[in-house]
Amino acid sequence: MKTMKNERKKEIKQAKKPDKVEIIGKENEKQKQSFEVDRRSVYKCVQCGTCRSVCPVFDVVGWESANTRGRMLIIKSLLEGRPPSEDVFPSLASCTTCGICASRCPAGANPPEVVEAARAQLVKCGITTDAQEKLKSAVMTYGNSFGETKDRKHWLSKAERSKLPEKSGYVYFVGCFDSYRYPEFAKKTFKVLQRFGVTLLPDEQCCASPLLRTGFKENAEKVMGRNLEQIRKVGAHTIITSCAGCYTTLKNNYPEELRVISLPEFLAEHLEELNLKKLDLTVTYHDPCHLGRHNKIYDAPRKVIQAISTLKEMKNIKEDARCCGGGGGVRIGYPDISLELAKNRLQDVPEGVNYIVTSCPLCVRNLRDASGDIEVLDIVELVAMAME
Amino acid sequence: MDITAELRKIVGGRLSVSPSELYCYSSDASQVKGMPDYVVRPKSTDEVSRIVRLAYENDIPVTARGAGTGLAGGAVPVEGGIVLDISGMNRILEIDIDNIQVVVEPGIIQDTLNDALKPYGFFFPPNPGSSAMCTIGGMIAYNASGMRCVKYGTTRNYVRDLEVVLADGTVIHTGSKMLKSAAGYDLTQLIIGSEGTLGIVTKASLKVAPLPKTRKLVIASFENAEIAGQAVVKTFSNGVIPSACEILDRVSLQVLKRYDPNLVLPSEGDVLLFEVDGTESSAREAAEQIIKVCSPLALSIRLAESEKEMADIWAARKLVGAAVSRLDPTKTRIYVGEDVGVPIKQIPELLKRAQEISEKFNLPAMKYGHIGDGNLHLALFIDVLNKDEWDRLNRAADLIHRTAIELGGTVSSEHGVGAARAEYMEAQWGPALEVMRAIKKVLDPKGILNPGKLGL
Repeated sequence: MKTMKNERKKEIKQAKKPDKVEIIGKENEKQKQSFEVDRRSVYKCVQCGTCRSVCPVFDVVGWESANTRGRMLIIKSLLEGRPPSEDVFPSLASCTTCGICASRCPAGANPPEVVEAARAQLVKCGITTDAQEKLKSAVMTYGNSFGETKDRKHWLSKAERSKLPEKSGYVYFVGCFDSYRYPEFAKKTFKVLQRFGVTLLPDEQCCASPLLRTGFKENAEKVMGRNLEQIRKVGAHTIITSCAGCYTTLKNNYPEELRVISLPEFLAEHLEELNLKKLDLTVTYHDPCHLGRHNKIYDAPRKVIQAISTLKEMKNIKEDARCCGGGGGVRIGYPDISLELAKNRLQDVPEGVNYIVTSCPLCVRNLRDASGDIEVLDIVELVAMAME
Repeated sequence: MDITAELRKIVGGRLSVSPSELYCYSSDASQVKGMPDYVVRPKSTDEVSRIVRLAYENDIPVTARGAGTGLAGGAVPVEGGIVLDISGMNRILEIDIDNIQVVVEPGIIQDTLNDALKPYGFFFPPNPGSSAMCTIGGMIAYNASGMRCVKYGTTRNYVRDLEVVLADGTVIHTGSKMLKSAAGYDLTQLIIGSEGTLGIVTKASLKVAPLPKTRKLVIASFENAEIAGQAVVKTFSNGVIPSACEILDRVSLQVLKRYDPNLVLPSEGDVLLFEVDGTESSAREAAEQIIKVCSPLALSIRLAESEKEMADIWAARKLVGAAVSRLDPTKTRIYVGEDVGVPIKQIPELLKRAQEISEKFNLPAMKYGHIGDGNLHLALFIDVLNKDEWDRLNRAADLIHRTAIELGGTVSSEHGVGAARAEYMEAQWGPALEVMRAIKKVLDPKGILNPGKLGL
C-alpha cells in the first residue's frame, strides 16, 4: 500500500474559495432538508486555536473534534457539502455550550450559537441520537425533561396549592429540576418569594431549554407557547427563576416583553427585607455558565453570599469560570465526560471553605456527583440557613 | 497489511479513522488542506517509534502535529497517511534549575511551561502570539519566536538536546545537558526548523532564562509606518536593544480598540511599542533613551503607567491577528503572505511596498509585527464569500513574498514554510535548496516524513 499514490491526496488545496455551497442530501434518504447555518458566523472562525486551550470537553477527551475549532470545522464541512451523518455526534453533541470559547475568541465568533444552530439542522435532516429523542419525547409528552408523571407541584400540599393567587405580577418559574429532583429547593425558594406575592403558573411546562440546546426548535416553540399563554393569563410582568438554564431560555428565547430575573438578582434586590443572619461560614461560589458568561450575572449572587458568609473565590471565576459539565445535553448524552468536567471544576475550589455554593440545580447535581469532599449547596439553601 | 489493526496494536483507542475526526486534522490555521487516512495520539517515544517504523515499512506518509496553530500548513497531511497528534505527550519531565534548563515532552503548551517555571524565577523566552495554545514541539519544528526575540533570540537559541525518532523508527539524541560541545555536526540545530521532515521530536532539553526584575513599555505614535520604521533603525543605532519592539499601524489600532475598548492607545498615527527589561534603573535608563531618540520623529510618546496597562496592551496585541472581524463582521483575516522579514534597515521600504500592494489589490490590511527584528505581519482581510477577493488576496500574497526576497529578506521569519510558502524556496535559496534536498534524502530516503513541505 502506498498512500501517496492516492490521487485524492495529491491535491494541496490552498485558499479554498467557498463561493458556492451545494445543497446536500441526495445520498441519504433521511436527508430531505438542506443543512443551513448562517455562513458568516461560521467563517468568522480563523482556526487560530485559541478555543482549544480553554474548551473543557477537549481537556477531557483530547481529540480535535472535541474542541470548538473542531466543531466549527465540522460544521463548515457540512456547509460545504459533506453529507451529515451520525459520525458528527461525538463532536457536535459533546459541547456543553458553556461559552468560554466565545469569551476568548479573538475573531468574535459565537460557537455555542453555531453549534446549537447546527444541532437544529441535524434534527431537521432527521439525524438524532437516542438520548436526544428520549429527551424530546419526555418533554413533549409529560412537560418535563425527566418523563415524570406526578404533579409538577407535588412539593406543595393540596391546601397550599389551592391558596395560590390566580393573578399576580410576579411568577416563580420552578423548572423541571427543582420540581422533580430538588423539591426542597423549590419549597425554600417559594417560601422566600411568597411573601412578595409571587405565584406559580397553573400548569408550568419545561422551559424548553433542553429542546433548544439539542436542536428541537419547532418542538421548543410549542412548549414555550404553552408557558407564555399561562404567563399572560396570570398577568405576570416578571418571571423569577432559580435555574440558570431556565433563566437564559426565558430571558433570551421568550418574547422580549417578559422581565426575567434570576433568584440571586431578586434576593440581592431585597436583601434588607429578608433580614438575613450573618453566619460563621466561609463558602466559595461556582458561576453557572448560563447565568455568568451567557448573561453576565456575576455580582448579585456574590452580594447575597457576602451578606451571609465570607466568600473565598475559586481559582477561575466569572468570565473564566470552568464549566461543571452539566449543560448542553452533555450530561445525558455523555455522562462520563460530563462527570470528568465536574471533577476538573472541583480542582478550582480553594482550601478552607465550608461549602461550594452555586445558583443552578444542574450545577448542583453535577458537582455533587463528582463526589468532592465539600458539600455543594444551592444559593437558596444558604439563604434558608440565614433565615432560620 | 491491515494498517488500522497494526496501529491499534500500538495505541489502542488513541486511533481514529472517523471521517469527522480526520476532517478536523485536515487543516491548521493556514489555508492548506489535506485529508489524513489515520490519526493517532501516541503517549510515548516508544509508541512514536513503532508507528514511524510501521509507516516506513509500508511507505505511508507521517505528519507530526502539535496544537495545529501553525500558519503554513506544516501539520497538514497534504499527501494523506498518518497524522501523529503529539499534543498528549505534554509532561514536564524535569526542571533542572542548577543546570538552568528544563526537560519536556513536545506537547507541552508554551504558557503552561512558563507558568511552571515562574516560581523558580525563570522563563522560556520565545513567545509567539499563540503562546496560550501552541506546543513546544511545534515551536522547535518551525523555529518559532515572537515578540521578545529581538533581545532573546528564537527557539533555536534555547534548545540543548533533542530526542528524535528518525524515519525508520530509530531513536537518537542530538545533544546533551552541556552548555557547549565541539564534537561533531550540530544535529540539534539541523532538526530545529526542519518542520518534521527529518525526524519527529519526542523530548527536548531547553535552556531557560532568569525572569527580568522589571519591564517598562514606551508607546509612541508616528505620522506613518515609514517614519516609525526610521525610529526603530535610529533606536538600534543608538545602542538600545529593547526586549520587544512592535509596530501597530492605524488599522491594527482600531481593531485593538474594538477588542478591548478600555485600552488607552494613541488616537492618531501608526504606533510603536518598545519594551525594555532589566533592573529598575537599567530599564528606566533604556526607556528614557528611547523617548529621547524617538521624540523628534514622534507625534506622541509616553511610558505605560502601570504593570496592568502593559499586560492589557500585550494581551490584546497577541490576539490582534485574528480580531479583524471585530471591525467589520463581513471580513475574515486570511493568513497568507503574513510572515515576511527583511534586514532592519529595509523596514521602511518594506512597509512602503506593503502599503502599495494593499492599495494595488484594493484589499484592506493591518500591518503589525516584530519590527525590531524585521518581521512584518501583513494581515490581509477579505469577505470569504467573495471569489474575486480571494483571487486578489492570493496575488497580493505572492507579490509580498517576492518583495521580501528582492529586499534580501525571507518569506517566513517565524511561522515556517510548510506547504503555503514551499514555492518560494527556490527563489530564496537557489542552489542551497539542493543541499537541503540532499540532507532530506539521506535522513528520509523514502520521503515519508511530512512530504510536500519546504519545497524539498
